[in-house]
Amino acid sequence: MAAATGCAAGAVPAGYTALAVKFAERQHSHHCLLVKEHQVREGADTAHPPRRTLFVLNVPPYCGPDSLSRLFSRCGHVQSVDICDKPGPGEKKDKLASKFFDHKTLKGFQVAYVVFRKPAAVQAAKALSQEGPLLISTESHPVKTGISKWIASYEASIVDPKELKAEVDAYMEDYDKKVAEEKAKAATEEGVPDEEGWVKVTRKGRKPGLPRTEAANLRVLEKEKQKRARKELLNFYAWQHRETKREHIAQLRKKFEEDKQRIALMRAQRKFRPY
Amino acid sequence: MAGSPEAAEEAEQGPEQGSEPPAGSAVRRGKRAAPAAAAPQPAKLSRAELYRPPTSEELTQLKETEDLFHSSLLRLQIEELLKEVTLKEKKKKKIDSFLHEINNLLSAIPETPETELTDQAWLSEDVKVPFLQVPFSVKGRFRFVPPAELKVVGSYLLGTCVRPEINVDIAVTMPREIFQDKDNLNQRYHRKRALYLSHIAQHLSKEKLFGSVKFAYMNSNHLKPILLLRPQGKDEKIVTVRLHACPDSDLFKPSRFYPSKNNVRTAWFMEQSTPKEGTTEPPTPHYNNSILCDTVMLSHLHFLSNAATDFPGMKDGLALLKVWLNQRQLSKGLGCFSGFLVSMLVAYLLMKRKIVKMMSGYQVLRSTLQFLATTDLSVTGISLAKDADPSLPVLDDFHQAFEVVFVDPSGLVNLCADMTASKYHQVQFEAKRSMEILDDRMVDGFQALLMTPKPMLRTFDHIFHLKHVSKLQGTCKKMQLLNELMDWGGNYVAAALPFVVSLLARGLSQRAQLVAHSLPQIPEWPIDAEPPKHKDVGPLTFGLLFVPEFAASTLEKGPQADHPEALEFRTFWGEKSELRRFQDGSICEAVVWEASTACQKRLIPEQIIRHLLKLHADIPESSICYTGALLESVIRTGKEAGGTGEEAMVSVVCSYDDLSRKLWNLKELPLTVTAVQGVHPALRYTDVFPPIPMKPIYSFHNRSKHFLLPSEEKPCPAYITPLKIICHMEGSGQWPQDKGAIKRIKAAFHLQLAELLRQQHQLVCRPAVTHTDVYKDGYVFRLQVAYHREPLILKEVVTPEGMLKYQDTEESRQLELETLHLPYLTSSLHGLQQQHPVFGSTSRLAKRWISAQLLSDSISEECVDLLVAFLFLHSAPFTPPSSPQVGFLRFLNLLATFDWKNNPLIVNLNTGLTDSDCTEIKNKFVAARSRLPVMFLATPKDQWSSMWTRERPSAQILQRLVLLASESLRALEEQLMDPLSDQDVKMVFRPPLDFYDVLIHLNPNQIPRLLESVDRPVKSVCRGVVKNSSAMNILFPVVDYDPVQLYLQELRNAFDDLALFFYDKHGGEVIAVLWKPLSFQPQPFKVSSMRGRKVTTLNNELVCIPNVEAILEDFEILGEGLVKSVEARTEKWTI
Repeated sequence: MAAATGCAAGAVPAGYTALAVKFAERQHSHHCLLVKEHQVREGADTAHPPRRTLFVLNVPPYCGPDSLSRLFSRCGHVQSVDICDKPGPGEKKDKLASKFFDHKTLKGFQVAYVVFRKPAAVQAAKALSQEGPLLISTESHPVKTGISKWIASYEASIVDPKELKAEVDAYMEDYDKKVAEEKAKAATEEGVPDEEGWVKVTRKGRKPGLPRTEAANLRVLEKEKQKRARKELLNFYAWQHRETKREHIAQLRKKFEEDKQRIALMRAQRKFRPY
Repeated sequence: MAGSPEAAEEAEQGPEQGSEPPAGSAVRRGKRAAPAAAAPQPAKLSRAELYRPPTSEELTQLKETEDLFHSSLLRLQIEELLKEVTLKEKKKKKIDSFLHEINNLLSAIPETPETELTDQAWLSEDVKVPFLQVPFSVKGRFRFVPPAELKVVGSYLLGTCVRPEINVDIAVTMPREIFQDKDNLNQRYHRKRALYLSHIAQHLSKEKLFGSVKFAYMNSNHLKPILLLRPQGKDEKIVTVRLHACPDSDLFKPSRFYPSKNNVRTAWFMEQSTPKEGTTEPPTPHYNNSILCDTVMLSHLHFLSNAATDFPGMKDGLALLKVWLNQRQLSKGLGCFSGFLVSMLVAYLLMKRKIVKMMSGYQVLRSTLQFLATTDLSVTGISLAKDADPSLPVLDDFHQAFEVVFVDPSGLVNLCADMTASKYHQVQFEAKRSMEILDDRMVDGFQALLMTPKPMLRTFDHIFHLKHVSKLQGTCKKMQLLNELMDWGGNYVAAALPFVVSLLARGLSQRAQLVAHSLPQIPEWPIDAEPPKHKDVGPLTFGLLFVPEFAASTLEKGPQADHPEALEFRTFWGEKSELRRFQDGSICEAVVWEASTACQKRLIPEQIIRHLLKLHADIPESSICYTGALLESVIRTGKEAGGTGEEAMVSVVCSYDDLSRKLWNLKELPLTVTAVQGVHPALRYTDVFPPIPMKPIYSFHNRSKHFLLPSEEKPCPAYITPLKIICHMEGSGQWPQDKGAIKRIKAAFHLQLAELLRQQHQLVCRPAVTHTDVYKDGYVFRLQVAYHREPLILKEVVTPEGMLKYQDTEESRQLELETLHLPYLTSSLHGLQQQHPVFGSTSRLAKRWISAQLLSDSISEECVDLLVAFLFLHSAPFTPPSSPQVGFLRFLNLLATFDWKNNPLIVNLNTGLTDSDCTEIKNKFVAARSRLPVMFLATPKDQWSSMWTRERPSAQILQRLVLLASESLRALEEQLMDPLSDQDVKMVFRPPLDFYDVLIHLNPNQIPRLLESVDRPVKSVCRGVVKNSSAMNILFPVVDYDPVQLYLQELRNAFDDLALFFYDKHGGEVIAVLWKPLSFQPQPFKVSSMRGRKVTTLNNELVCIPNVEAILEDFEILGEGLVKSVEARTEKWTI
């Protein structure tokens, strides 16, 4: 285990401890998990309470929450494992999270927060660096990779229509209720002045206002412009004639100048050799 | 014809006077612009400069460029080109002094005593007579006397020679005293000429002045050897001086050489002792013409220099015309349209007042092309002879003897004597096409006409080679061409060629608009070598340009059986002709060719050619090397040799049409279906391997309820592509206006669609959240519901002021691409396929090549489709391809030569862009270059964003693609043009692997698309499917399951920042990995950049480096069961 000690005892950034980890007994080389006690600068990170949480860096792609939890369970009882893309405060678990619609696929190397029940376990986890590499997949708890994993995920991708339908129906019911509530609220506010006496003009009612969108604003501007253009007289005064002629020559000159420039560029690239 | 003489005058004067001040500034500007060439800037003129009062010269010049040329760009480009091709003054001086020295040397060559012509012992051993003396014995005596006169003739004196090949022709007049009576007979003159030159060669070869002294045949006509002299040392490349020996102009009586006269006696030629009694000798027009040519050299020079005086435009025009001919490979070889010929043609047009001396070079080019395009010299010849001398032969006499007629001022010589009618038609065709291009404002005429080479391989739809020209001897025998053979001095290639070509042209008259042949060319040879034989012209190449509508028809309908022409038809087609009864009741002679698939039908011309050449020309099939469809084997589907997938594609589209009808008519759907649009490449005919109807074998799979699952013990099941279809639902107030809710409603629709299709049409479906898979006719269609307002809802942003704004987000852009732009592109390209039946196959070949080079994931499929569409929509200077192979070659050429950095590629689909649109796109492109994708494609619906190339390819990948394309093109063209080598065209489909750092070898059993690989596996594995489309099926097959793609995705997810992964998705057995050099540099420790790295100390500093050993093992772990081995190829990553 010379390599293992090399990883563990070698260079480690301040505050971190390196844990060697490999997939199974078969492999020769290992990755280094960098772990440290999770610290929060300000505010309370409720999902990852300080002192009890171990911050793990460089978690290999085949190492899921279950494996991590198993790896660290020998240091103490693991309360939860949270794997995410990059370090950040733990999000509140959304109660609406659905099996079908909010897929979060983990990609590549991750960071993880392992929350223990007791702070002592964090120190115990750090001490693991003295031992040989940890194994992610063991005979008792094999981790599926490759073909077997893909077949499993293919199987998982088959949706049960009834379940899906039930979920959609439930969501839509909620949504409809919400929309109805908003509508009712808007209806009650319709035409009622607020405390300063302002009345909100909506698109409904007898005198609908303009919609407040960018497109509508642009449309109005365009219309104004057209109106102005219609009023203008072209080719009426002699100076207008002169102007257009001058403008025409200027256009030609500009084009000529552009062409000359392009030629110069082409010449620089030696584009005129027909052989 | 452009304008009146006045306008032309302005054209002439314009550039010299008017443009002086701006031209000067242009040079300065140009110099400043040149170093900054990397980043072109839009031109800017100050206000004062733009609006200053114009001088009258400037006005005329501006006006003239506007009227005459489409833009001043063309005029400037032509000026630049002329600068490039004309001879520099400095070199002219060198050449002049070289000529002077030659002159001195030639007059100093000693005389020789008179000997018999056949006694050549006086000639030293190191010089071989540059003439094929067959039969050897001939009467006559020869001695060498120094030349009577030396005169420079031809383009050098006229100043019309163009680089890169500068030839100076010197006419060496042989003195009268070496000739006797009857020297016009039996090649005596030609042999004297050859001996004369060999004696000169013998003396000059000793001189130190020359870098090389060689012989060549003038325009590869073996009756006319010439001596080539090149200066010593580094000047060798500058010039070739060509010595032509010629007689005094009045040595022979002209009447002896009229086209109907005979000057080669049959008895002599056949080496019979006594002439046969009572036979008339046949006329020998080509032989006569070859002698006459020599007698009029000087007078032609005078004629041309008269034409060129006071006519500066002629010089420029001729230079342009010569470049034009060179680019089309028309100006070299036996029967070429030489520079001299084109000069005479311009002189003719001047005489006929179709060109006036005030015209500019560009106008000369246009007028000449216009004349060529509209005049068929093989039917109505022209003559430069002014006053009709009644004794001279008339044009009809020339037409009797020659295929193409253009008589010189003397009224005796046919300048186009050696040209075949087919070659002239090719020139005519090119001229026509060029005129179209010049009149089309959308095309860069300069580039298309003068700068693009048109080699045969890329010009013609099909190419075939006659491997061994010696087989043409048999043809001469079979066609009884003894007289022609005598006329051509035994050159069987030249004698048989016109007959062979006209035979083919007749056989392919309906199918081909042009049957062309390469010009026989014989390279020069050292003076001590024997002169090349007729067979040394190498393989002859023929090119066919098809009429797309008729090229592939299986029937050749002849005249009615009782008509007199029926006999002729029968003799022409031989046994293949048979009587057939047609639907209209008529009974006709007809030939039916066997072909069932589109791919075989494209090769019907091959069948015809092989049949006709065998039947009439006695050329065995083994000497014909037909390279029309060699490449198509890489897109063959299935194991059988049959089709290339066109039929499979059609049946997919039929099934899709049926499904969309069913969808429209579905009952009980809460909202109606407004549109069904396909987006899968198979639905626009460009899928490399179109899906084939499949039925799974149940026992091969595991099961879960109604679905089949892949089994771990068995090989991976065959890949079934889901054919994606977008199903637009009616807009309605019932749709929610919230993105989460829309997603759910769409899922509900997917469920309901599946249910209704099952109930009403008994189709097996598999609903999912984002789509519903439908198993129908052995195909799997993937329905995706779309709501037209969804992208808008995704874009909605409310500003702090409460204003509603629309802003592109990644999600909305993706959705728009899928539901809006891709369906539109698919239908546009579907339409293109209807106009050009080989569009699909070309695109498939292109994609197959890209994927074979492991780059299919680095460039989007739509982008390749558009590139190929460009070839069809903007084919100038070519014609739109009518065979996949030529399309593919042009695709490679486009990829290799297009200047992606400085130009947008505008694909004018459905001609939705006007001239001014294009200019605007170009200008905006220049202004915003640095912010745009490296490969910029503009289409009518996507003018500014180039959506299909926005993310891929990257600059490095594009560079690699360009490199690979030019290498592949070179290798491929070499192979296709060399019929004698064993042609392994698949070579360019095998990628070079030595360039990659790690190779991951895969287990073939787990590669579902193994059968699609370039070199098919010998052993095939059972994939758990049978081909079937009819059977009703209850269990849903395994769809879209490709372990290799899943593996690649995991690899890319995990190691995206460390390496690039390349794979040929069509059955590749290896994944190639390239480490990113940047991420292998040691980096300081950062929490966010630890992925897959380890920490070490380097110079007492903590740094992160990739943990390569562990990563290599990760490759194996992630692909458990799929990966056979991981091969680390280099030690590049040791840090």
